[in-house]
Amino acid sequence: MDKMVTLKVNGKEVTVKEGTLILDAAKEAGYHIPTFCYQENLSGVGSCRICLVEIEGQKKLQPSCVTPVMPDMSVKTDSATVVAARASMLEFLLSNHALDCPVCDKGGECELQDMVYKFGPRKGRFGEEKVRHHEKDYILSPVIIKNSNRCVSCMRCVRVCNEIVGRAVIGAVGRGAHQEMTSFLRSRLDCDHDGMCIEVCPVGCFMRLPYRYTARTWDLKGAKTVCPYCATGCAMAIEERDGTVVRAIARLGEGWNDRLLCARGRFGYDVLNSAERIKTPLLKVRGSFKPVSWDKALDIVRDRFTKADPQKLGGVASARLTDEELYLFQKLMRSVLNCGNIDSTSRWDDRAAAAFISEAGINAGGVTLYDCMNADTVFVMGGTISDENPVTDYIIRCTSAGRFMNVIIASTRAMKLDSSALLSVRHTPGRLGPLINAVVLSLYGDSRERLKGVEGIAAVKDSSVDELSGACGVQAAAIKAIAGKLRAASSVSLLVGTDFLRLKDGLSGLGLLKRALGALGKELKILPFLDRTNQRGAWDMGVHPLFGPGYREVEAGLGCHGMLDRAAGDGMDALYVIGTDIVGLYPDRGFAEDALSKIRFIVVQDTFMTETAEMADLVLPAASFGEKAGHITNQEGRVQKISALLKPPGEAKTDLEIIASIGSSISPGSMEGDPDAVFEEIIKEVEIYASAASSGEAGWLAGEAAAPVCGVMVKKGGSLREAMHRKAVEAGVPAGEAGSKPAADPDYPYYLVTGNHLFHSGRLSRRSGILKGLLMDPAVEISGSLAEELGIADGDRVEVRGRGYGARFFARIRKGSPRDVVFIAENFCEASVNRFFRRGETVPRVNITVLK
Amino acid sequence: MRDSRIETVKVKSLESGVRWILKRTFFVDFIKGLMVTLGYNLSKGVTLRYPDEEKWIPYRRFRGVHTLNRDLDGRELCVACELCVKACPTRCITVVPMEDSTGKGISDRVAGVWKVDLVRCLFCGYCEDACPTTAVRLGRGYERACFDLSSAVLDKEKLLLPEEVPPDLDGGVIVAASFERTGAGMKVNADFTKLKGDWLKMQG
Ligand code: SF4
Ligand code: SF4
Ligand code: SF4
Ligand code: SF4
Ligand code: SF4
Ligand code: FES
Repeated sequence: MDKMVTLKVNGKEVTVKEGTLILDAAKEAGYHIPTFCYQENLSGVGSCRICLVEIEGQKKLQPSCVTPVMPDMSVKTDSATVVAARASMLEFLLSNHALDCPVCDKGGECELQDMVYKFGPRKGRFGEEKVRHHEKDYILSPVIIKNSNRCVSCMRCVRVCNEIVGRAVIGAVGRGAHQEMTSFLRSRLDCDHDGMCIEVCPVGCFMRLPYRYTARTWDLKGAKTVCPYCATGCAMAIEERDGTVVRAIARLGEGWNDRLLCARGRFGYDVLNSAERIKTPLLKVRGSFKPVSWDKALDIVRDRFTKADPQKLGGVASARLTDEELYLFQKLMRSVLNCGNIDSTSRWDDRAAAAFISEAGINAGGVTLYDCMNADTVFVMGGTISDENPVTDYIIRCTSAGRFMNVIIASTRAMKLDSSALLSVRHTPGRLGPLINAVVLSLYGDSRERLKGVEGIAAVKDSSVDELSGACGVQAAAIKAIAGKLRAASSVSLLVGTDFLRLKDGLSGLGLLKRALGALGKELKILPFLDRTNQRGAWDMGVHPLFGPGYREVEAGLGCHGMLDRAAGDGMDALYVIGTDIVGLYPDRGFAEDALSKIRFIVVQDTFMTETAEMADLVLPAASFGEKAGHITNQEGRVQKISALLKPPGEAKTDLEIIASIGSSISPGSMEGDPDAVFEEIIKEVEIYASAASSGEAGWLAGEAAAPVCGVMVKKGGSLREAMHRKAVEAGVPAGEAGSKPAADPDYPYYLVTGNHLFHSGRLSRRSGILKGLLMDPAVEISGSLAEELGIADGDRVEVRGRGYGARFFARIRKGSPRDVVFIAENFCEASVNRFFRRGETVPRVNITVLK
Repeated sequence: MRDSRIETVKVKSLESGVRWILKRTFFVDFIKGLMVTLGYNLSKGVTLRYPDEEKWIPYRRFRGVHTLNRDLDGRELCVACELCVKACPTRCITVVPMEDSTGKGISDRVAGVWKVDLVRCLFCGYCEDACPTTAVRLGRGYERACFDLSSAVLDKEKLLLPEEVPPDLDGGVIVAASFERTGAGMKVNADFTKLKGDWLKMQG
């Protein structure tokens, strides 16, 4: 139990935890103290002195944002002295402030304006020349423009960049009135470009470059939505002026991510403004697309779908759709078309996905990241979380700082979060399994009695840590250290990423580790970190060949892999693709193209003309996020509501409407395209969503105890744990996982790994002009040691060549990555990384030549 | 009415009766009346011969058609802060900012679009009061009769043109003018050098 302290605020008694700030105690008592430099989650600096309060018995006023409460303290927040001090602090701040509000983009939503309006002295006595840092605003990054003349030196920008983003690229330069928060020599930043510095700056110093001089806040119309670029599922608002979306913002206190967004979320909104959107249904006539009417298009779809043999029909829907759309999609396929061949991705094997769902306990209900971060030890593995889920990385960084806990990372590449980790190990790509097995073995070594009954332990107990260490490329000492930390912890959280799915590697190890930790009596939480915003929702809705909505058992169908196999063999009659780019992302492009070309009818429903859409017979124009309403379930199981801001362009319709019209044209009256009605049905059909619905519907779903800010955890459900587990085991352990190091290949000495780039997600974000401005050309990431060895500098052109394909990239150097690992993001259409991949082979090998 | 008047005449004296007859015979009252008309015919007229010959120039404080202004170096004063838009009670101003660092405006923020819909404007002058840079001012233009309402929307290009009335000309005067009717429309051409008098004084 925490020690409690009782004090008086403005004569009102209040009892708070020891160590609480006066600011928070006053809030508790119902008094608002204005602040500038204070920000929750950031360290206190007490520099602006707006929050001064009077404490009985102390002559000088004290800043309430850094002063903790003391027993029997008596605090006054609104005495005459305090009010006068506040006004003079504002006068002081204004004495060196540019006061160019009419020009400043922050005007209208500026904290300084508001504060002066409310508490200000309304006059200044400062007669000297003000310091001008520069005449013109200067550009700090493709998304940030800076004006230091307006700075109030609150240091929020510097602290957020250090403490949350973990970049530390801006600092305070100079002293006194000459102090300026900027980059080294005001040079262009090479950073996350997440714009957190913009979001926290109370005045107009850090500003959005793309939004510059486009509007005043009162011109804007906004809608709440969820970022479409990863399963962190950050809540944000997009705002438009005259039909053009001009910015995305995350507001303090709104959404579980509070103010946090990464570059993709904050700047990827302009896909909505793109002129390249598909606007009418397009039918391929003699090799080229011709616009057709919706009626004609739906007739064709009905005709082809009803004539198709259900065994030779299939559907793949993107995990970016809403819960409602995904639910209706599987209903269309299963109940109307009698076809069980459905999937939510083309990138990984459905059996691996089933195993992952089971081992990560996704079918058993949600868990918040904040809850996971309460554990003594957090073990992050199976993905480069800093790049894949940047805001998850930010939250881990700021919640782990100053807390007695250990963060352990196992990955193939270096990442920003390494700096917050106690232990970071780099394993050989595709050899996460041996690493986990080695950790379990190491735990087993000390607790044979307690672990000997654990299911699956037999498979590892006869190998040795050294042998497994050789296979995964991690030193035995590091493995033992990880095991030591896990053993010492009383609660453990595992954060597991998509490498488990991509490489089908480590899945059985994950199950084993989970059971071993359970047997050791650890309180265990597992959180998957995924890359498509509604991946979890897609699984919950049963868009998977092996299970239906709510993980109910269904007659098994084919996943995307299976469908392509069938297509390549005796052909498929029809394929329905929604929002997925199979050609661009399937890990063997040649095979995918070949298989798709043998399908007799492909209908692609998407927002943009993807490479898959180019191969289609019929293309249907779909609405994007921001143009539709519904729910999105993030990786934690948080169900958030999204709403529409704009109308879809041209004749485009929401996926829900299209699916419903297809359904109704085949079986009249079978489907409705109304999101509320479909959500009602989901609540009835998918037991685990009942709690999500019961919490009201206005804006965000109301919070529960488990959820820190908003949203709702999908509680308990998966009655199919056993069946799921069986499937997991059936998914099998790929050869090699059991323990050997991959054979050396002297011609192609480097492992090629892929995933999402920090600034991109799938192919969609490449349609964002702003995000493309952050990374224009395809890049290959190589380690610092390899760069040194080959004499490559950042930005040099190199050629990457694999067994069947080669392409040119510019090199980006990532210090700390293993020498033999190179990374090419899967986002670039210009040099599609899936051309390097061959079916059946998990990690391709490549070599690199420097182009001079 | 007439009967009662005759009654009154009847009780008057004989002398007055004779005068009455003479007056009636020689149309004296009628001539008196004509004299007044004649006098006005010969005196200087108060009717403003607008638009054919004269035009009234309003005072400086007049609230007529908007003008957008420049500083002494010819840079646009408007910084597209949109405060006029916010202040306007009829929401008839549209401002869309843009960046221009060529020195065209007093800051890099200039108006890409600045237009006002005069059909809705009630010439209250709030926009002028709100403007932090005195960029928008209500001017002395008042001839807004038109056949087509779309011509009542004035954009930045038109508003930035110098006002027709020379700035050094005080208001409250009448100048010579001529009315022109062409295929393109109608126009009153004022000659600001030919002052025809002070309107107030002319009112006596
Ligand atoms: S954009 Fe992010 S990383 Fe870059 S300076 Fe701002 S806070 Fe730091
Ligand atoms: S730039 Fe903004 S956030 Fe940074 S110190 Fe100045 S006012 Fe504060
Ligand atoms: S990409 Fe992921 S982390 Fe970034 S803003 Fe979107 S949801 Fe959040
Ligand atoms: S004069 Fe009044 S009504 Fe007319 S534009 Fe200005 S503020 Fe609006
Ligand atoms: S005219 Fe004045 S008030 Fe209106 S946008 Fe321009 S500067 Fe602002
Ligand atoms: S908010 Fe307390 S000193 Fe700035």
